[in-house]
Amino acid sequence: MIELFHVYKQYQPPQWALSDISLKVRRGDFYFITGPSGSGKTTLLKIIFRELLPNQGQIVIDGVNILKIPNPRIHELRRTMGIVFQDFRLLFHRTVFDNVAIPLQVLGEPRKEIRRRVFNTLRMVNLHQKMWDLPSRLSYGEQQRVAIARAIVNSPKILLADEPTGNLDPELAFEIITLFKEINKQGATVIIGSHDRELIRHFGDRILFLQKGKLIGKDAL
Amino acid sequence: MTIICLSFLIVGVFLSLSNNLQHMARELSTNMVVTFFLDKAATAAEIKGIEQKVLGSPLVSEVKVVGAEEARDRFQKNFPDLKDILANLKINPFPSSLEARLKDTAPASREVAKLVQDVRRIKGVEDVQFNQDWVDKMQSLSRLAKAVGFFLGGILMLASFFIISNVIKLNVIARKNEIEILRLVGATNIFIRIPFLFEGIALGGLGSMVSLALLLLTIKLFPVYIGSLGALQQLLNFRYLSLFQTLGLVATGGVIGCLGSLSSVSKFLKT
Repeated sequence: MIELFHVYKQYQPPQWALSDISLKVRRGDFYFITGPSGSGKTTLLKIIFRELLPNQGQIVIDGVNILKIPNPRIHELRRTMGIVFQDFRLLFHRTVFDNVAIPLQVLGEPRKEIRRRVFNTLRMVNLHQKMWDLPSRLSYGEQQRVAIARAIVNSPKILLADEPTGNLDPELAFEIITLFKEINKQGATVIIGSHDRELIRHFGDRILFLQKGKLIGKDAL
Repeated sequence: MTIICLSFLIVGVFLSLSNNLQHMARELSTNMVVTFFLDKAATAAEIKGIEQKVLGSPLVSEVKVVGAEEARDRFQKNFPDLKDILANLKINPFPSSLEARLKDTAPASREVAKLVQDVRRIKGVEDVQFNQDWVDKMQSLSRLAKAVGFFLGGILMLASFFIISNVIKLNVIARKNEIEILRLVGATNIFIRIPFLFEGIALGGLGSMVSLALLLLTIKLFPVYIGSLGALQQLLNFRYLSLFQTLGLVATGGVIGCLGSLSSVSKFLKT
């Protein structure tokens, strides 16, 4: 379970990127966070996986206050999560396979197992035929799918995705969200930051609305 | 890489020089003989007493009484050009002496000096000749060479440390994106550090190995280049480093590289 209590985040005064955010996401939930650009979607996701620290408030994941985890042990939290970054954060000098294999290498999985899981995951996102290509040779949408494959390859308990369909055509975007739904069905909690109203209307049973850093609506808590 | 090699090369050259001096000091000390010149008026009983006293010392391995005639014969044999001068003299100017060969286990100079002093006080001993000073000087010179080597090498090694650290820092900056991704997918700090550590160790270790190869080349080529040096030949006839010193230098290179990379990567793993 992910719980946020009165979370505030400010980059530069006087504006607040997040202001008094409290919410509870139960295990196995599928959430969309939506709102206009600059509403705080990315900041909220970054705070959940502790890339950013809030100015105030507490974040508790599965009973652990993540703000109290010392830096040398932060990897334990991140290993339970899969993250799709808005800017993909791919390594352009490494192949698609290598990029997707990173979370498994970090976990110390055997090579054979890494090969098997990376291949299966790439097949899920329909990129297995470009496994040995460099990301620079892929289209924008394909790069995005590599980022998604990297986020889901280690079957995370929590999957956070920041605009995962931002550059995909509607058909592929639907496919990707369907994939997220499948991962969710297997027990993962999924939180997706998106401003794609069509997609949210179609898939979003639980939606958080952000505006100027404030939570202005939530359909389920 | 050049500065790393240079620093280790300097340490290596001075270590080799120090090895040479130590070798010479050892050679001198193994053949160390104390000569007690005896009074011409000394009786046979007195000479026997002196011999017993010297032989009784745990520092002495062998004592030989050299009579005046034998001393003259030795002189004539060693300096044949001066034979005539001796022939013109009506008396034998050489005193009898007692040669005490010291044991190979390099005697502590203070103990030998005490023995020399004690024997010198005995009636019948006129003078003493002892080359301990040379051994002491050689050993001091060897210590000095080693100290200078470590001082200069130390400064350059410090420079190497900063250079390695900066080289790796540049590499870390170039791979900042990768480090960030690794951190965000749950890599431990050790996992991120390991490749950089290996890089540092390889850089330092390789630098020291290249410098050792250069040192070997220098040692082989130096005598060919300078030709014969007469008395200085032995001093400048460099010996290569011992296995312990060689491994020590390579290990030091590795450690410096390791520390350099640790200090540069740590700054990027704070959050």
